[in-house]
Amino acid sequence: MTQKELHNQRLLREAEQAVMRMHTRRHFLKESAMGLGALALGSFLGGCGRKEGPISNIVFDPAHPLLPKLPPFPGKAKSVIYLHMAGAPSQLELFDYKPELMKMDGQDCPPSLLEGKRFAFIRGVPKMMGPQVKFSKHGQSGAWISENMPHLATIADELCFLKAVTTDQFNHAPAQLLVHTGSPRMGRPSLGSWVTYGLGTENQNLPGFVVLTSGGKNPDAGKSVWGSGFLPSVYQGVQCRSEGDPVLFMKDPDGMDRDLRKASIEAINKVNQEEYTAYNDPEILSRISQYEMAYKMQISAPEVMNINEEPAYIHEMYGTKPGQACFANNVLLARRLVEKGVRFVQLFDWGWDSHGSEESLAIDFGFINKCRKVDKCITALILDLKQRGLLDETLVVWGGEFGRTPMQENREGKKMPFKGRDHHTEAFTIWMAGAGIKKGFSYGETDEIGYSAISGKVEPFDIQATILNQLGFDHEKFTYQFQGRPFRLTDTRGRVIDEILA
Amino acid sequence: MLASIIEFIAHFHPVLVHLPIGFLLAGLLLQWLSGKDKYVSLRPAIPVILLGGAVGATISCITGYLLSVSDDYDLVLINWHQWMGISVGIISWFVWLKQRNSGKPFSKTILSVVLFLLILVTGHLGGSLTHGSDYLTKPLGDIFKGDSIPATVIKPLPDVQEALIYENIVRPILQTKCYSCHGANKQKGKLRMDDTLMLMKGGKDGKVIISGNAGNSEIIKRLLLPVDNEGHMSPKEKPQPSENQVALLYWWINNGASFTKKVKETDQPDRIKPVLLALQNEPEVKSAVTSIPAKPVKKADDKMMEQLKRKGIVVLPVAQNSNYLMADFISDTLITNDDLRLLLSLKEQLIWLKIGNTNLNDTDMTLISQLHNLTRLSIEHTVISDKGIIQLKSLQKLQYLNLVGTRVTAAGVLQLKEIKTLLSLFLYQTNVSKADWPALQNAFPKTQVDSGGYSLETLPTDTMEVKAKK
Repeated sequence: MTQKELHNQRLLREAEQAVMRMHTRRHFLKESAMGLGALALGSFLGGCGRKEGPISNIVFDPAHPLLPKLPPFPGKAKSVIYLHMAGAPSQLELFDYKPELMKMDGQDCPPSLLEGKRFAFIRGVPKMMGPQVKFSKHGQSGAWISENMPHLATIADELCFLKAVTTDQFNHAPAQLLVHTGSPRMGRPSLGSWVTYGLGTENQNLPGFVVLTSGGKNPDAGKSVWGSGFLPSVYQGVQCRSEGDPVLFMKDPDGMDRDLRKASIEAINKVNQEEYTAYNDPEILSRISQYEMAYKMQISAPEVMNINEEPAYIHEMYGTKPGQACFANNVLLARRLVEKGVRFVQLFDWGWDSHGSEESLAIDFGFINKCRKVDKCITALILDLKQRGLLDETLVVWGGEFGRTPMQENREGKKMPFKGRDHHTEAFTIWMAGAGIKKGFSYGETDEIGYSAISGKVEPFDIQATILNQLGFDHEKFTYQFQGRPFRLTDTRGRVIDEILA
Repeated sequence: MLASIIEFIAHFHPVLVHLPIGFLLAGLLLQWLSGKDKYVSLRPAIPVILLGGAVGATISCITGYLLSVSDDYDLVLINWHQWMGISVGIISWFVWLKQRNSGKPFSKTILSVVLFLLILVTGHLGGSLTHGSDYLTKPLGDIFKGDSIPATVIKPLPDVQEALIYENIVRPILQTKCYSCHGANKQKGKLRMDDTLMLMKGGKDGKVIISGNAGNSEIIKRLLLPVDNEGHMSPKEKPQPSENQVALLYWWINNGASFTKKVKETDQPDRIKPVLLALQNEPEVKSAVTSIPAKPVKKADDKMMEQLKRKGIVVLPVAQNSNYLMADFISDTLITNDDLRLLLSLKEQLIWLKIGNTNLNDTDMTLISQLHNLTRLSIEHTVISDKGIIQLKSLQKLQYLNLVGTRVTAAGVLQLKEIKTLLSLFLYQTNVSKADWPALQNAFPKTQVDSGGYSLETLPTDTMEVKAKK
């Protein structure tokens, strides 16, 4: 036994003793008395205020964490593609057409809109700024869509707009966390984690929750927006690289054949299995399953992840740039993943924070260029899912983390070099398509200048509740026991937006 | 201040009442028992217990009275409960007195029996007040029907313009959303809405409806308050009226809140027209429940499911508490005849089948066509041709059929028009040509047939970048 081993053994013994010290006889008696009392009380109070039916009967099998599970009721959606425009795109230059705002263009903002309000950057009295782009009505539904999205306008009748989304977070990171984890603070599982925890995934050779980023930066909230929080870590999003090979080290190195790889993974798993017998930590079982998944992914992933296998006309349709990092490639990849049974694909595209502080963040320059980069591929995605019979069971969600002000930003009270808008929490637009959501429909209205929601107001919690509903979950009953209480994605809030369900 | 102290004291009533009930019943029991020789020794305890009961009953009467004025209860019930409670209090003193200076035993017995009955009835009335009058009988269901408000379903109107605004539109909304607290059983805030006169009279703070001025009517104000506001109606935890329903009430009040007019006799601003029209249609069934049959089915054979699972085929019930199954061959592209035979053993339960991207061929379709309960079938990217799909005619419950990337032609697809239930049909990348289109649309008038092959013209702006002039 080497010195190091001896040392390790000593450490382990110390740790065990430390644990034992917590359990004196007095401790035991005290705890059991309290415990029995609490148990009895619990069963007395059990009948109080409990709704019918089990709260959550999802069984977590640590050895097979991703096996497909059944939802509480048959869902319309099998998978979700969530397109998040990180930085928050301006609803006033895309979908929320406000001709009245144009009339106020350049005027001082009325004090009624500023009193008691706080903005991220606006100080003093800003000027109002009308829509910086032309709008027209599209499709039979007559949806207003701006010239910034000419392709999307052609499929207006497939989309369902939520025009009065509100949030209470005006900084990117907390607002993104709120949208994806139901809390502006870190530590909660993301939507994709909840979904893969609840439903598993049908293809055991691929991860159930894949994350793809573009725009040169990860979202401001970092990887917590696709984290698993208190759920077992196997449910966190698997981020794929956006440039070059999506997953590294797929090929076995020279001199290592498939059998040797298999043997080595089996050996590692055997060691892990022994660890598990010793410590009983379910995370070890998850690790074992992840090794097995990695082994299987060596066969399945290169094929799925390779968008070059798509025919030329599909590339043309999406406007992809093979080999480069771009949103269009990710969108095409998202379709391929969903086709192969991946449950949740989360896309983040950074660069929508149009403050007007520089050209790339100007409403009339950078913003337009961003729109051009996503317009065609998103339209292609909807049409492609449709023609493959997949839009029926794939829910596509598009949106940012908040909206932008009807006022022009005046950072620190000064005039900005370019036209821009500040962060705005009181109204923004999110759209959904597919999987049992009404087509060519718009829900919610903002006031004449797009400042605040006046009807059909929804919060991120409501959108989360609706997404879970489409997947077959009652968001109020889909819980996970943590720190002594059941947690759910929408926590104490959320309403399924029945109005938009087909 | 005083009011809140009174209310605080009043709220002890439901707790305190149980003391005199227990004391008095115990006293009466002892009194009865002590008449027998065996229990004579109990006698000294009786006056003490009865005194406790009488004092408790008196305090209960006081707190009860305070409670009745500080909250809203059913007037008839509360009246009875109050007077019976007071009788219990008075008689309990008499019983106590009789016990002390025991007069004629006869009157003592009568008094005791009366007191016993009064306690039962008063207690029951009190229970009805707090739990609702149908509380006791509810578990017995249909045997004893309580006088609860009948559940009403808002039915579609044959012709909305001919409908009576109040009777056919407004009343059903009030009935489903308001009457439970402002109706015959309860009148919260002293407001009763199920009677037109009382509705117009309003509640304890005055009128709730100002004819012709919806914006200033209390009822509309309350409906429009944010849900979290305490004054919001319906209360947060109760079912909320929809936006359309609020719009209808608003419109009705603005039009003079008439109880007799027909819809066609009133002003109809543009905003209300679609809402009115929607009343003519069947309410949409808004749930995520997809096409699963209503008929229950027995559980599938676990062994068969296990065998399929072992081959890597996903076989699962479509939902918890459902025996209907879905199967997905997502990781298994080489299908054997055995697999299909296993599927066949699940044919009663199997409703969704995804078997695309596999080696499925035309001869296998004979087996697939026997899965008669299928509502969704995906056989995309297989070598299936017309010969194969013609057999699918027997799937008379099919709603979704994905034939993308198969070798079918229009001639084969047209044979499927016998499937009356078909809602969507996908024909992208098949041998169906543009020329076949009119024939297909004729054959499937109710089906969404998707030919796919969409393309997006590349606009010059797609690849251009806008730049600021330097």
